[in-house]
Parts: sequence; structure tokens; C-alpha cells
Amino acid sequence: MNARARLLLAIADDELIVGWRDSEWTGIAPTLEEDVAFSSIAQNEIGHARALYQLAAAELGNDADALAFDRAPDEYRCAPFVELHLLDWAHTIARRYLYEEADRVRLDALRRSDDAELAGLAAKIDREEAYHRMHAEMWAARLRDEPRFRAAVDELWPYALGMLEPELRPELARRVGLSVESTQAIERGEHTPELAELWSTMTEVRRSAPGAAW
Amino acid sequence: MDARTEEFLAYVQEGGQVEATDWLPEEYRRKLIKFIEMHGNSELMGVLPEREWILKAPTLQRKLALTAKVQDEVGHAQLIYRVAEDLGKPREAMLADLVSGKAKFHNVFHYPTHTWGDVGVIAWLVDAAAIISQKALLKCSYAPYARIMKKICWEESFHILHGRDVILAMMTGTDAQRLLVQEALDRWWGPLMQFHGNPIPRDEDPMYVWRIKSQGNEEARQQFLDGYVPQIWELGLTVPDPNLRRGDEGVWAYSEPDWDELKSVVTGHGPRSQERLAFRARFLEQEQWVRDALLAA
Repeated sequence: MNARARLLLAIADDELIVGWRDSEWTGIAPTLEEDVAFSSIAQNEIGHARALYQLAAAELGNDADALAFDRAPDEYRCAPFVELHLLDWAHTIARRYLYEEADRVRLDALRRSDDAELAGLAAKIDREEAYHRMHAEMWAARLRDEPRFRAAVDELWPYALGMLEPELRPELARRVGLSVESTQAIERGEHTPELAELWSTMTEVRRSAPGAAW
Repeated sequence: MDARTEEFLAYVQEGGQVEATDWLPEEYRRKLIKFIEMHGNSELMGVLPEREWILKAPTLQRKLALTAKVQDEVGHAQLIYRVAEDLGKPREAMLADLVSGKAKFHNVFHYPTHTWGDVGVIAWLVDAAAIISQKALLKCSYAPYARIMKKICWEESFHILHGRDVILAMMTGTDAQRLLVQEALDRWWGPLMQFHGNPIPRDEDPMYVWRIKSQGNEEARQQFLDGYVPQIWELGLTVPDPNLRRGDEGVWAYSEPDWDELKSVVTGHGPRSQERLAFRARFLEQEQWVRDALLAA
């Protein structure tokens, strides 16, 4: 697999898995308004994943669904950050906030890429992510003084750093007012046990009838 | 009944509609709140069985479509609760009554889902049964409720198309997929036949008397059978009722639905009633601090 396909899969997997995690709030979010918002965000993230998988699939000679569902868990390239099972609002908002800020840094870099196709897609994705950032920043501001939210941000910070290449990390730290130096990033490459569990649920129907059309 | 109430009743029975700012008889207001609250509860509880399958959807397209559908249902709950809130019952109180088991929700949302076949049958046939009830609310005597039903019915009609598409993909797939659909239909037929309620004459149904509903239970069930049984047969599926047939006058005959089961299920004794209420209660309680933080802001 070439570097471009590896890069596309890393971002697509991040978007798919974070979108999957956002969907876990469907039906049980703290307010009905947030329930609707999280469904929107999940749809956007999964839509972005699909667009990225389509680019990768053109390189790899398969299709977006095969990439999203038919790989083994250890073939996924997502960061441990998106895998974590965090079904409480403080951690969920902390991850949404840090994820969107990190994603912005990553998309900014991709928009400047020499790869015109990827740069174009990054610009398109960023137009939707702008709304996710507004949503996340609004929540981060509302919960700023809640100790459990601040603790969740601190706890997730090493994971958020690990989502980005080292050269992009100082920009993320600047944006969120945290430090790179004193933190050991939790890097992409190793997976958490939560991914295998998620994968098993996510692919359950598809694995029940390999090759079937749904 | 006092003269003012009699006049009100005659007005709504002639097809008149009232607004939130109009004078409403207390009994009418109470019946409206009870009916609308149960509708909102049903939209919200209906999310839980489908929610599990968003996480298991077998393609990206299906995942997106199902997420959008369920998002619509939560949006409907929000719209419907707002109408009940205007009538005087706060949302927090409605949610508290829901999880404590004091308020009801529709029978079909008390049952488990076993396979992707259930996902198709719910989106197609449960939503079809629901849209028949909801279309009859377009003429509701309470105008604010009738107005939101336009948007809701429009969205529900997309859900039926989505459900039919899920079913069609499986029916044109493998034998194992076709079996999943048939098994799901077998599971859901009983609850679907109970869905519109017992065949009480409409003039004895208080919800009809006040013109909250504009049709009787049996009319709704006949409409469902007439619209969907031919489609079910056309797909090669078997309806698990040997007595089901369309009579010469166009009236469908069917085996007596299990009304005891309906009564038991809607009073919280369905196979998933308590588990789903407990799941909702758990998150309502766990995230109370968030709503408190919003109120304090």
C-alpha cells in the first residue's frame, strides 16, 4: 500500500469510527436538541469517511464499503483517540472539541497539499466541519467551569495529540491552550481493546452473509 | 356539560379547529395532553430498537439512511412534546412520567429486534401503520398539532420508502436474507394487527368524540391491510394469518388480534418494556448535570 492510500485510510478510519461513536448517543443524548445534533454530526463524519474511502478504493481496486467493513480490526489505521468508548457527556464533548480542533489542523494542511484531488476534498469536508467546530466550541465554553469536563480534556489530551503527525501538534496545542512538551502522545498504530469490540458490532450483519448485497 | 363546552364540542364535531390561545374545556385539554404525550413518547421510544442497528448497518449508505431516519424520529418527538408543553405539561415532567412507567407508548416499541430483517419491517410496515394514524391527525381539532403533522407525515413517507428498499434488497438477495425478512414479518404481524387498537365504535372513542382523531381504530386497520397486504404478497412473503382475506365488499377479514397481549404490553409488560425504560432512565439520570448546567448558564 502506498503512502497516499495509507494517509487516506487513516483519516477515513478516524472519521468512520468517531462517527460511529457519535451515533451511540442517538436516542439517549442529554437533550432532544443534542440528540438531533449528534445524528447530524455522525452523518457528516460517516459521509466524509465514505468520500475518503472512495479515493482510497480507486487506488486499491475495491470499494468504500469493503474498506469500511471488510478489513480485520488490526488493519484499521484510526487513532486510539476515536476508539475509546466514552458514553458520558463530559468525555464525549471533550473528545468532540479536541477532535474538531485536531481535524481542523489536519484539514488545513491537506488543503495546501500538492495532491489536487485530496486538497479539493479536504476543502469540501472543512465546510461541514466548520459547523461541528461551532457546536463543539459552544459546548466547551458552556462546560468550561465544570471540573469533570476539564478533567476529561486533560485525560484525552495525549490521545488527541496522537491523532496528528508530530509537525502539526504544536498548532493544535496553540489552538486549545495545552502543551505538547510535557505530554506523551498516544500514537496511531496500536489499537485499544475497544476497537475490536466496536468492529465486532459494526460488522455483525455484514459478516453474517459475506458477499451479500444489502 | 355546560353550554360553553357543548358549543365547543359541536364546533369541533363540525370540523372546526382551535388554537392554543382559544378557550379549551379542561377535559379536552387533558385528553389532548394524554394523546399527544403518548405520541411523543412513542417517537422517542421507537428510536431505541432502531438505534442498535445504526451501529450494525451493513453498508455506509444504509448506515447514513438509518441515522437520518432515526434523527427524524427524535425531531418528531421534539416537535410533538413542544405542542404538549404549550398545553401545560413541561418536557421534564413528560420524560419523568415516561421512565417511571406512568405514561404509555405504542405497543410496537416494546418488542425486541433480532436481525436486519426487523429493521426493514419496522421502517416499512410499522412506519406504514403509524403514518395511517398520523394522516388522520392532519384534521385534528387542535390546529397546532394538525400543523406539525404535515411535516411529520411527509418525513414518515420517506421512511416507508427506505424500509421498502431495505426489504427489497433482501428479498432479491440470498435465500438466507429472504428468510430473515419472513421471520421478521412473522414476529411483527401480531403487534402490527394490534397497533391501531381494539375495534371500538368510533363514536364511543373519546379521542374521536373530541375530534382529536378523525377516524376509528378499525378504519385505520382496514386501510393498513388494504394498502400493504397486496404489497407484502407481491414480494413473495407469507402473512402468518390463515384467515386473512379481502372480502367481496373490500373489507378485510383476519384472525382476532390478541387484545390481552396489547393491554399487557402497553402497560409496561412487553418483552423489552422495562429494559428500554431502564436504559433511557439511566442516561436521563446520568446526564442530569448537563441540563442543570444549561439552565444555570
